Amino acid sequence: MAREQRSERSFSRRYFPPKRKVCRFCQRNVRDIDYKNVDILKRYILERGKISPRRVSGTCSYHQRRLSTAIKRARILALLPFLED
Amino acid sequence: MTQYETAFLISPNLEEEAIEKVISQMAEVVKKKGKLINEDRWGKKRLAYPIQKFEEAFYVFFLYEADPTVPFELERRFKQTEAILRYLTIKKETKEKMRRKEKDVLDEEKGLPESEEILTEDEDIGGEKEEAAEKKEEAEEAEAAEKEEAGEKEEKVDEEASLPEEKEKEEE
Repeated sequence: MAREQRSERSFSRRYFPPKRKVCRFCQRNVRDIDYKNVDILKRYILERGKISPRRVSGTCSYHQRRLSTAIKRARILALLPFLED
Repeated sequence: MTQYETAFLISPNLEEEAIEKVISQMAEVVKKKGKLINEDRWGKKRLAYPIQKFEEAFYVFFLYEADPTVPFELERRFKQTEAILRYLTIKKETKEKMRRKEKDVLDEEKGLPESEEILTEDEDIGGEKEEAAEKKEEAEEAEAAEKEEAGEKEEKVDEEASLPEEKEKEEE
């Protein structure tokens, strides 16, 4: 019985837990994400101009929400592309 | 009185004077009923994508405090003026301080112990929690299990030593 469990566990251990990502905005205690700050926003868009998902960037949900509105605003003003090729 | 921020893009084919005129016109609209806090000009800047076949535009930002009628009036003007390529008005937020305070208090309460937890989890001995549960259920067996565990831990070390290499290979 115990043997079986153990083997299962050792099997699951093969999938290493990904490195814990920390929200970079929380680290710096950022309150607002400004849509004019293009340099920062650019780090959070992918090659094709998409907003990078949380699982990639490690942003917390609060800042991801702020970030996405900021990016969308910047797109309206043509500071960031809607799509890039 | 609410704080608003309005940004607008002026077409690049206008002359300096004409641009100046448009900006001062719009500034007056704001000043009439509200308080213009800051006026920011970025000058001609390249657009991320063409708007009306223009590749660049003149960026202007107004930060002002006024009644809600003012941004409406501004936007009405923008629509009438052909030289304005784009505009965007946003409300500046002030109420979010609440959330921050709550969060800070929570963070302080958690403080150090949380970070320690994270450290142990990162070392990946997730199995230990289950083992702890087992101990509660069957105390005698647990002793035996602990012995096994000790043996297993050595195995773990071996595994952990060998697996990262595998992982690297996979990534390659």
